[in-house]
Amino acid sequence: MNAASGKVMKDSGKKSFKLMIVDDSNIMRRRIERSNQLDELELVGTASNGLEAIEMFKKMDPDVVTMDLTMPQMDGIECISKLVVMKPAVRILVISALADKATAVEAMEKGANGFLNKPFTDRQLNEAIADLMR
Amino acid sequence: MNVAGADRNRQLVTVGIGAMLTLVMGAVLILGFRLATQMRASVTGLQTASMLQTYPDAISQQLNSLRDRLEARAYAGQALADLKVTVKRFDEELEQLGSGGYLQSAELDQALLLWHQYSPVVQPVVNFTGQAYVDSDDAGSAFSKEGRVHYADVKRAQLFATENARRLQQQLATVATTLQQSSSDGAARLRTLLLSGVLAALVLAGAAAYFQVTRARHERAAKEAQEQTRDILKTVREGFFLLDADYNIGTVWSEALTRMFSRQDFAGLGFEDLLKDLVPPNTLSTAMKYIKLLWGERAHENLMKSINPLGQLEITMDNGHGGKETRYLQFDFHRVMGPKGIKHVLCAVGDITSSVLLAKELQESQESANAQLDMMLGMMHVDPLQLNSFLDTTETGLQLINAILKEPARADSEFRKKLNGLFRELHSIKGEASALNLMSIAHRVHSLEDMVSDLKKKAELSGNDFLPMVLKLDDLMAHLRGVREMASRLTALKDTAPAAAAVTAAATVAPARAAKQAAANEQRAQLGKSGDDLSPTLHSMAERLAHDHHKRFRLTINGFADVPSSYVATVKDCVIQMLRNSAVHGIEARETRKAHTKDDVGVVRVDFRKSGDGYELVFEDDGAGISPDALKAAAVRKQIITQEEAAGMDTRAAMALIFRPGFSTQEEVSMDAGRGVGMDVVARSVYALGGKIGVSTNPGKFTRFKIVLPAAEAASSTAVA
Repeated sequence: MNAASGKVMKDSGKKSFKLMIVDDSNIMRRRIERSNQLDELELVGTASNGLEAIEMFKKMDPDVVTMDLTMPQMDGIECISKLVVMKPAVRILVISALADKATAVEAMEKGANGFLNKPFTDRQLNEAIADLMR
Repeated sequence: MNVAGADRNRQLVTVGIGAMLTLVMGAVLILGFRLATQMRASVTGLQTASMLQTYPDAISQQLNSLRDRLEARAYAGQALADLKVTVKRFDEELEQLGSGGYLQSAELDQALLLWHQYSPVVQPVVNFTGQAYVDSDDAGSAFSKEGRVHYADVKRAQLFATENARRLQQQLATVATTLQQSSSDGAARLRTLLLSGVLAALVLAGAAAYFQVTRARHERAAKEAQEQTRDILKTVREGFFLLDADYNIGTVWSEALTRMFSRQDFAGLGFEDLLKDLVPPNTLSTAMKYIKLLWGERAHENLMKSINPLGQLEITMDNGHGGKETRYLQFDFHRVMGPKGIKHVLCAVGDITSSVLLAKELQESQESANAQLDMMLGMMHVDPLQLNSFLDTTETGLQLINAILKEPARADSEFRKKLNGLFRELHSIKGEASALNLMSIAHRVHSLEDMVSDLKKKAELSGNDFLPMVLKLDDLMAHLRGVREMASRLTALKDTAPAAAAVTAAATVAPARAAKQAAANEQRAQLGKSGDDLSPTLHSMAERLAHDHHKRFRLTINGFADVPSSYVATVKDCVIQMLRNSAVHGIEARETRKAHTKDDVGVVRVDFRKSGDGYELVFEDDGAGISPDALKAAAVRKQIITQEEAAGMDTRAAMALIFRPGFSTQEEVSMDAGRGVGMDVVARSVYALGGKIGVSTNPGKFTRFKIVLPAAEAASSTAVA
């Protein structure tokens, strides 16, 4: 499965949670996709900026979203507020290199459910996503 | 522990016991009263019944006596009166006993029934009012007609009495017995009642006492707990308080909080108001957003802990002596859960100022250790002879600076003159230091230069303005001593371990060459300084300049072996300055060079040669050249010339502007340019040697400086003058 930007993944419907990855870096998208070891989570789409993310969200209706903050066109914070309006139950994990606490608080306030700093280990990512779905 | 609930329960029990006691005593009293009343009635009845028992016999006897008197024709009036009274009282008292309601007994009913039969028989007797006798002389006293009837009535009554008096008496005796029984029953009941009342009261009083004791014990325990809590809050070093759903502080807090915030009015104080005057608005807004998030249960405790923006909060507050004080506080938040979700947020504040400062100090000392290491590594690449000569010149320079500072001055113009002198000296030390890549020294001198620049901008100058410079100068001198010491250690190290020195040198030059160079250096050191020493310095400076300004260029130096020793210092200063100019202004960025179809790598050439009687130094770069218009514009901006003067200038005059004092086209001050000290210093030192300097340029292609110096002997005489 190739997580190219804006690509729609095949939805087999077997798994209980649908995951969407939003990050402007192709490497980071693949990194997150490969790290995901949770059985109940299935990647249904990826996006490389906020606008793409919203389009993909409408199409695939994911339950869990990993969100970068600094992206072209529409940044993560704005995108989070839009996704939360579209689907209040969505779970959003912010994955960002911005390490300052104010950004994290801002993202949480806008509706994110978790925060993970780049760089991260596979274990940290899986734990953060598991926390998200609890 | 739910203290309030237990308290309420105990109160309810106490009230219950009191109410029970009142009820029981009331019941005992009412019942006792009723029983006593009944008993009194019984006793009265008993008395009546006892007395009544005697009446039937009395009536019977009185009837007998009446009959006897009648038969003897004696006076019967008194007997009849006695009977009348007895019958009347008996009738009255029996009726009273029957209607008194003391008791319901068959015997009394029978007695009444019997009396109701008896009474009609005896009534005619007692009702008799006539004359029983008639007196006649012949027969004496005889019955009158009514006397005979009366006599018959008496006989009949007497007969009835004989038959029934005993029965009536027995019946009345039974009634008396019954009444006596009832009376003694009542007494027993009253005794039982009183006894049980007393028992109940005792039990209740016991219960009340028990509850009172337990209550006192609980109160004591609660008081003790309260005292312990107070002691904890008084002693603990963290500031503790609870926040409610409106982000207000609760009524209890630890005393450390008063010390941390220098205030007492925490009860009901909003969290925002607590921080308002202590932190910048941005931090405050983030903090309030965070507190709001804490009250939502969306994010779990660990995540909230990891994004806590108040983990190390810098606050500025009055120190109580009119000054400001910076402190570092650490806020920790814990949710306190109740049955209906989050009840409070517990906030723990720690003063971490000392540990933060310690960490900073550690970092600083680490940085200074690193800088020292860097300096040492830098020094290892510098030729020891060069280093020593630099240290000597610098020391002389600093002594000169000291002398300038000490010079007495009063007028503003004198101070300004001082500043200019200081500036030149500092600038030249900085140039040499950066040429040798001794950045720790160069940075220190740079900051001294900053101070001089600031003073230059000041309107009124006084001697006090120079004091901070003296301190800074001391620091620089101490640093130089350190460098010298390190240099001597390095030399010692190299002397004792030549092999190691060779290895070190190998990093830059081949060992064989290094050895040869070292030999040559020694030789030269004996002969005096020579221009050949300059090449490595200039090359290393060129490297640093290229690196710092992201430029690429190649420096080629020719003929420096011919530089007479008396010119070495001047040649070095001039070339360093021109090299800086080339690196900063001349050589273009790589992209620009490409766009102009130039070679990627720029070229800077320095040639020194004999020319006629004297010498000629040509410095040339293939950079952007100098635009006369740009020079004029910069000079106008710096108010060195007026707009009109600029307009009237030809190219030649414009180019000469770069030799004017205070001129620099670089807007930003950096280590290498922008101070406005530059080509004017070069020009001045050239003139000082009796030389000449000229510049030619072709915009976009090259810049060339040509310096002509007289023969060395002539120069030395000029220099002395």
